Amino acid sequence: MKIEIKDLRFTFPTGLEALKGISLTIEAGEQVAIVGQNGAGKTTLVRHFNGLLQPASGSVMIGDWDVKKYSVAKLATRVGYVFQNPDEQLFSRDVLTEVTFGPKNLGYAKEKIDELVQRALSLTELNDKTETNPYDLSPTWRKMVALASIIAMDTPIVIFDEPTTGQDALNVARIANAISELRMEGKTVITITHDIDFCAENFDRVIALSNGQVLLDGPAREILGQDEVLAQTYVDPPQLTRLGKRLGLKETVRNQEEFLKAIT
Amino acid sequence: MHERLSFHIKRDSVIHRLNPLTKLVLILALILIAFTFPWYWAPHFLLLLAIIPLGILGRVFPEFFKTATRLILPAASFLFLMQAFFQPIGEDVIFKFYFLDITQESLMFAFRNAMRVFVMVSAFTLFLLTTHPSELMSDLTRRGLPPQFAYVIISTLQILPQMQAKAQTIIAAQRSRGLDTESTFLKRAGSVLPLVGPLVFGSLVEVEERAIAIEARGFTSKNVKTSLYEIPDPSFDKFIRWSLLGLVILSIAANLWPS
Amino acid sequence: MAFVNLQNVTYQYPLTKTPALQNINLQVDEGEFVAVVGPNGAGKSTLCYALAGFVPHFFKGEISGTIEVAGKESSKSTLDEWVLNVGLAFQNPFNQISGAKYTVFEEIAFGLENIGVPREEMKSRVEDAMALTGIRDLADRSPYSLSGGQQQRVALTSILVMRPRLLVLDEPTSQMDPIGTREVFGTIRKMAEDGMTVVLVEHKMEWIAQFADRVVALKDGSILLEGKPGEVLTSDLLAENGFGSSRYTSTAREAKKRGLWRKENLPVTLDEAVEGFALTLPFSSPKGAPRGRGESGK
Repeated sequence: MKIEIKDLRFTFPTGLEALKGISLTIEAGEQVAIVGQNGAGKTTLVRHFNGLLQPASGSVMIGDWDVKKYSVAKLATRVGYVFQNPDEQLFSRDVLTEVTFGPKNLGYAKEKIDELVQRALSLTELNDKTETNPYDLSPTWRKMVALASIIAMDTPIVIFDEPTTGQDALNVARIANAISELRMEGKTVITITHDIDFCAENFDRVIALSNGQVLLDGPAREILGQDEVLAQTYVDPPQLTRLGKRLGLKETVRNQEEFLKAIT
Repeated sequence: MHERLSFHIKRDSVIHRLNPLTKLVLILALILIAFTFPWYWAPHFLLLLAIIPLGILGRVFPEFFKTATRLILPAASFLFLMQAFFQPIGEDVIFKFYFLDITQESLMFAFRNAMRVFVMVSAFTLFLLTTHPSELMSDLTRRGLPPQFAYVIISTLQILPQMQAKAQTIIAAQRSRGLDTESTFLKRAGSVLPLVGPLVFGSLVEVEERAIAIEARGFTSKNVKTSLYEIPDPSFDKFIRWSLLGLVILSIAANLWPS
Repeated sequence: MAFVNLQNVTYQYPLTKTPALQNINLQVDEGEFVAVVGPNGAGKSTLCYALAGFVPHFFKGEISGTIEVAGKESSKSTLDEWVLNVGLAFQNPFNQISGAKYTVFEEIAFGLENIGVPREEMKSRVEDAMALTGIRDLADRSPYSLSGGQQQRVALTSILVMRPRLLVLDEPTSQMDPIGTREVFGTIRKMAEDGMTVVLVEHKMEWIAQFADRVVALKDGSILLEGKPGEVLTSDLLAENGFGSSRYTSTAREAKKRGLWRKENLPVTLDEAVEGFALTLPFSSPKGAPRGRGESGK
């Protein structure tokens, strides 16, 4: 499902102009990372995709729907959004109920709900924790429950807000794996992240925001090499990209495979 | 996010410069006099001759007027109606409304009580508009109020807008999961748990972490505490406070005087 | 004797079945910068709480062994005395806002008011601390109106201003953007050079390698390995135990298998990686470190 944003502007009630005219198109099935310094407008932008925020001017289209004309609950059938802090989301007495909540709200048939929930639980490696109270789990696993509860909604578009913050290497790998599964199912994945290495390894397209505007937008390979422009929004290129540059490699490398291939 | 967490408006005025305790005594005195002085029109005169001039002197009259007309007036009117209808006093029935008799006495009684409440809330509003909570607490702590007590008061004042902001985030998170909070009442009743659950649990974690955070910053230190702000308390302030106390005593005495 | 001295510390939270810390022995010298790494649930935060006195004084539970900082023993001290020597900042910045203050300036002064610092000294210390962490322009904002990354800077500043002799930090930069993180690490490094002892929990390996003097790797409540960053962070033991590593290390490890890394030791930092891979690429001409700001380490 395509996302089309035209000259989107947004100002907070405090008078802070958070988005200053953003135009973007995200095609169905794209894997997009949004990067940029604290306060660049990343979260404000994605909250327009499911109607949590309404544009001051400009438009946001999710497929053929104008977000202004649909409720958040309705838009939830098209856009799933994992909040940064799982504690703002979880409330059920066990993981299974929690993960079932979303698809149930969307009104799927019972068999379909069961199937979606099972798939989400196995994607997030929660199969052995279905009866645990989410609050007895560590913050790391709570994050996975939050992920599962959105993945189970089976929306064509999934948004992750800082999925790797405070996560250890194992869990970052689990999250990367879940994202790559979603990619194979043809879903659009949009992720806000400060973890530029994670971004380089899992996303095809990178959008860098700075002060409420698009600073850079394009294929990850092109964007991540532009260290001087990225520095404007307080982002460093990924470690291996920097390494490749220092070694004088001709092409920009993003991940281990590309790097090793380039030096062979 | 909410940038303003208190009513206080930072301006320079005679009232702003008064010692916080003097202001506290001032509004308490106004309230006590409004409730005790045995003259029917006392609250009205206090409002016209004390509170409104003080608001103008404190350079907060526009804000004060806004609060008074939008918040206090409707509340006082409601109180007036309730008391006028349900106060079974007096003989002199002015009109009947089904089984309710409205007498002149009940009308007068209700009117005075409504005015008293109006004076009380207006005085508090004036106080909040011209006094920074931190200054008040620093001053009271310096005078011997336990700092823990001051902390509880200030953090409670701050917690409401915070809880509100947090509740909004939680509502946003659950609506993003397809929870319909915009439709019928029945549906909304069913959506209470997903909204209250994270709020309550989150608060438990928060309380523990906040306790650790303030303890790490010496909150229970036995050292004598100091204050960032120097709060002047000139003899003029002391004079005002004693005078106000005198007026309150006079008012109470007049109230108790056998007539 | 070491400035921080943990002897056989074993600790179990109330109502839990397994100890969160098991037989920890750790010595840290004054002015040393020690980083603690480990998977989630390894006991890193508990170790921080133990150093800062909250384990066991605040959390209760069962503890054995001794914890000493600056010659004082935790069990013979009270928490309010302990925090004068040891400062703690942790991950969630929102919950570290005191709730008693209306501006960032007041918020940072809060701790100094509590311990009775005179007003004039208080003001200059707050100014200095804000300059150090680069948040002067936030002084008049409400702490609640800030972003997570800004709040983390405020939380860190609120502790730095107390001038603790031991600074304990539990993922203090998790919500900061990359360049903000680097600035904060630079600040902490400088504090250590000025004599403050630092214990820092962190997942960002590249920064640890550049800024810390020593690394302690925790797993399941025990110390798995400790030593110089270059040795610990490149060890196979860590890789086998699910610890994260910098991309330089993991890529060089893979390259070594394919015969593309010719040095004995694996790299942790960019400079080490450039140096090593330059051997594989005889035709390349490694460029010097282009930018400053801690990029080339201490």
